Amino acid sequence: MPEKLVTAHVDVFRHDPAGGGAPRYQRFTLELPPHTPVLTALLRIRAEQDPSLTLRYSCRSAICGSCAMQINSKSRLACQTPIGPEIAEHGRIVIEPMRNQAGVRDLVVDQTPFWEAYDRMRPHLITDPLRPMPEGRETSMTPAQVEQFRETPRCISCAACYSACPAVEADAAFPGPMALAKLYRFVVDPRDQARQDRLLRIQTEGLWLCLRCHLCTEACPKDVRPSERIRDLKEMAIAAQGGTERGSRHAIGFKQNIRERGQLNEMKLVLQTDGILGSIGQAGQGFKIWRKKPEISKRPRRIEGIEEVEEIYKELDPKPKGDR
Amino acid sequence: MKIAYYPGCVAQESGRELDMATRWVCRELGIELVEFPTFSCCGSGFVDEANQILNVALNARNLAIAERAGLDLLTICSTCQGMLTLANVKMTEPAMRARIDPVLAKLQIAYGGKVRVKHLLEVLVNDIGIEAIRAKVRRPLAGMNVGAFYGCHLLRPTLELGSESAEEPHSFEELLTAIGATPVMYRGRVMCCGFPILFVKPETANRISGRQIADARDHGAHAMATPCPLCHISLDSFQNKASAAVGQKLNMPVFHLPQLVGLALGASPEELGLPRHLVPVEPALARIGTTP
Ligand code: SF4
Ligand code: SF4
Ligand code: FES
Repeated sequence: MPEKLVTAHVDVFRHDPAGGGAPRYQRFTLELPPHTPVLTALLRIRAEQDPSLTLRYSCRSAICGSCAMQINSKSRLACQTPIGPEIAEHGRIVIEPMRNQAGVRDLVVDQTPFWEAYDRMRPHLITDPLRPMPEGRETSMTPAQVEQFRETPRCISCAACYSACPAVEADAAFPGPMALAKLYRFVVDPRDQARQDRLLRIQTEGLWLCLRCHLCTEACPKDVRPSERIRDLKEMAIAAQGGTERGSRHAIGFKQNIRERGQLNEMKLVLQTDGILGSIGQAGQGFKIWRKKPEISKRPRRIEGIEEVEEIYKELDPKPKGDR
Repeated sequence: MKIAYYPGCVAQESGRELDMATRWVCRELGIELVEFPTFSCCGSGFVDEANQILNVALNARNLAIAERAGLDLLTICSTCQGMLTLANVKMTEPAMRARIDPVLAKLQIAYGGKVRVKHLLEVLVNDIGIEAIRAKVRRPLAGMNVGAFYGCHLLRPTLELGSESAEEPHSFEELLTAIGATPVMYRGRVMCCGFPILFVKPETANRISGRQIADARDHGAHAMATPCPLCHISLDSFQNKASAAVGQKLNMPVFHLPQLVGLALGASPEELGLPRHLVPVEPALARIGTTP
């Protein structure tokens, strides 16, 4: 039996910066079965209603990564997103280009910064010329080593994660989730010989700007889970190099802080991360908060059973690198 | 109902108004809070970055404390909720258990995986129920447009935490409607408040929180409400910095979730710790005809 058709009101972001004119939303209405992918709807619009609609796509099968866009404010692959649930939730489908990348025309964005960040990760094997790979045969990996890559090889470079990332939006120094997931993939590659150098460099090249908000993991159509691999990179960076940066110092300081009282000592943590001089810079704000919330200057109580906490630390955090 | 109360560090220190409001609301709704002075900090995501296994073990100990008492566990912080739930999920993985169980066993601690970790929002909406709350409203918040701000770890990552859609959640807005407020829908409601890097790169963190506040305001919010005291630090305690970072005076009152529920159920602003906020809440209270 043929599926019942639904009426799709599609509000498409239109903009042609080169041709002048302000950005606007143009409404197209068409009847389609609810399982129709958004991409198909857009191609129908282009074929039947407006040939000037500009968008990027290729495979139509969630493989090439070209068709990422915002569908009702969510980062999605258009070829993989059916119209039915969007209409049910919102009554219409708002189509906008990906965020965090400058518009070229309509739904096409300039991906230069996305690819530049990727290149900065040196996304290829780095080997030591003095320790060449064994010649004449392949380098084999154990299943356990392959397991280390986790989901990262699935990435199709669609930039949906980059579009969703608030750290990318707020800070040009942040390389973005996809680039960091890629870096992880090389850091855990047993054939790569630049692991230490990669971890050292990324500590000053944006690793600690990740907010662990998991918006990237939510947006990713391939379940690459970038936020979780970034967390792994942070742990590996600390294990390899200790607290060399404010971010790593903060994480280590927090961990030590809990060891002492079982509870957070807010004041002490700020001192640990910033050092005495840095903290003076924050002092004005601290005073404003203290006037309303005087308990920030007091030491918190020590929890009952702190010996148990101490014991867990002894067993599972025996030689903490870079701790004070 | 009876539940183990996990207030978290901030609500016991700088965010004490959240603890005050939670206790008031729970008393009013017949939720008995059982306290455990043995709970340790959830690690706030930072311990997880420094040492994942340690983080799971510390929280498994917290979970075991509630389990021993035969209780589920109530959080009032999105991050506590996220970290304790993460531990709950990790403690189902055999490899993780193999590392952690022997350590806990030495302390005569065993965690059987029975505890459900519930945020106050979930308890209010699912256990107490929207209708029961609506029936108790004495001071409807009519005339107040409120932007709910969920806080990342209440929603994400879905696999571990999801009790509702991470991208299009509704429970907070349903609760706001029940207490007479008008929920404001805006993109920032599921975004990040910037807190995790507030002490790493403050100017970036302030820009992030500033954008979400401006977004709420641009969609007509008179106030925001959050289920997370860390979000409250970013959005309220550092709002002056956020204003500077986005170059606009934001002046947005930000409530903790139980403060708004408390107001609607008839608590006084003082009982809810409203005078402790950095951004004055009076303009929002004036909309519902209340003065502190
Ligand atoms: S978790 Fe980190 S990388 Fe992912 S969206 Fe958030 S800030 Fe960006
Ligand atoms: S990590 Fe996921 S969302 Fe990001 S580029 Fe790769 S496939 Fe796309
Ligand atoms: S068209 Fe290739 S991923 Fe959608």
